[in-house]
Amino acid sequence: MNIYRRELRAHYKVLIVWMIWMVFLIISGMYKFQALSANDANGLLKVFPKSLQVIFGISGFNLSTMIGAFGILFLYIILTATIHATMLGAEIISKEERDRTSEFLFPKPVSRNLVVTQKLLAAVTNVVVLNLVTLVTSILTVAAFAKDFSNNGMVIVLCSALLFMQLLFLSIGAVFAGILKNSKVSASIATAILLGTYVMWVVIDLNKNLEFMKYLTPFKYFDASVIIHDGHLDVFYVSLSVILTIVLIITTYLAFNKRDLKV
Amino acid sequence: MNIIETKKLTKYYGDTLGIKDLDLDIQQGEIFGFIGPNGAGKSTTIRTLLGLIHPTAGSATIFGKDITKFGPEIKEEIGYLPSEVFYYDNMKAIDLLRYSGSFYKKDSKLIEKRIKELAKYLDLDLKRKIDDLSYGNKKKVGIIQGLLHEPKLIILDEPTGGLDPLMQQKFFDLLREENKKGVTILFSSHILNEVQKLCDRVAIIKDGKIIKVDSIRSLAENTHKRFMLETAVRVDKSRFTGIKGISDLVITDNSVSFLFRGHINEITKIIASLNLTNMLVEEPDLEEIFMHYYV
Repeated sequence: MNIYRRELRAHYKVLIVWMIWMVFLIISGMYKFQALSANDANGLLKVFPKSLQVIFGISGFNLSTMIGAFGILFLYIILTATIHATMLGAEIISKEERDRTSEFLFPKPVSRNLVVTQKLLAAVTNVVVLNLVTLVTSILTVAAFAKDFSNNGMVIVLCSALLFMQLLFLSIGAVFAGILKNSKVSASIATAILLGTYVMWVVIDLNKNLEFMKYLTPFKYFDASVIIHDGHLDVFYVSLSVILTIVLIITTYLAFNKRDLKV
Repeated sequence: MNIIETKKLTKYYGDTLGIKDLDLDIQQGEIFGFIGPNGAGKSTTIRTLLGLIHPTAGSATIFGKDITKFGPEIKEEIGYLPSEVFYYDNMKAIDLLRYSGSFYKKDSKLIEKRIKELAKYLDLDLKRKIDDLSYGNKKKVGIIQGLLHEPKLIILDEPTGGLDPLMQQKFFDLLREENKKGVTILFSSHILNEVQKLCDRVAIIKDGKIIKVDSIRSLAENTHKRFMLETAVRVDKSRFTGIKGISDLVITDNSVSFLFRGHINEITKIIASLNLTNMLVEEPDLEEIFMHYYV
């Protein structure tokens, strides 16, 4: 597990920055929504055009409840965590080629599969730590702003949805780094897919005729307004995201094994 | 026993040829030179052997095991020093070397001892950060990481860049010491002089193909020798007509010079019949041999 330990050490500073940003986002976001909820926020937001409500992720939430406010904030939490996961997935696989350390690492008695495994484990550890920090901060912040709030279960459900999203986008980043030699291109494509699927989610919400495209965007799999309404995750979408994640990870191994390394 | 054996090993990068039909046999305990100019296919061969890139066709074995099937197992006994060394940021030399050592099954205490011995020999401060080291010192880190696990095969790809002449000498001495213990060395270089100093046999590679494999001695013997004769009187050109293997003949009032390739007795008979005041026979250096195959 030497590569795993090395990757954890190499990424901990960046992880701390992401954790600080996440904590700041949750506290400042909840503070703002608390102020809104005190002034008939639902009425206030209804004057917004539907398109703006969708783009800012405020469509379908009841802002007079604390979990409704958290649901709106959750979109930004998802965007932050998935950007982190996507970039991490792409970077951790391709960094040896980017930094030209391939000729140090790969002549060592270690298979490419083992390198990928240890790097992905380190990435998953980073992602899980960010998720736990998000969960704990969310529970504490929501509790601090709503003394009588007792729906920690829903925060946990939402954070578990977040974890599925993080793992899926981590594997999207990894698969492009596995396939492509150029680390800049792989990171750019993976990030473009993240933003593209987000835009797709907005467009589908605005135009019900495009509902058939909902399987193409993971943002639709874990729509916070639907989860809060249903009270649980949709088993079909969880299964779909797990299957996609597994397929992408297997593809990462196959592609990385098959191609020449950039040296 | 062949430590490295390749059969028709071929590598294309898309449509571009890297190496083609490469047949090599490197025997246990020899120092094998691999020479050719930049882009001839030396690094491609080495990177294919190490599994960094995959062969398009052909096969290769190291220690008798197929490189594509037994990569990690084979690499347990290989030490590699690339032409350019790049390491991880913010690491001290000792941390990088310990990380390097952690890949091998060998006892970590023995590796630690070996790191310290090699650092002392090469005069390297292990506590310094790699980012702060000069290129030559980074190269020393590379040498240590290639040798710290006492490999049975050392592969060096143009390894001397950045080392000053004194350090090059120490490095060559170190390699000779390893070789005496039975270690096989594949030494790739475009600097012919260092190959000549160190290697037993040499392969000359041109445009991705091996054009000659021979011992350094045999290469020198079977190529041109330059004869420079000083004579008491002017020699008539006709004395050399009809002798096979003479070229570049220049005759002045008191000297004759020419290149000769062929049976040495034929030419010594002619020389013995001349009224000489002095004679010089020069062995070609590897550079001349190299140019012979390249031009």
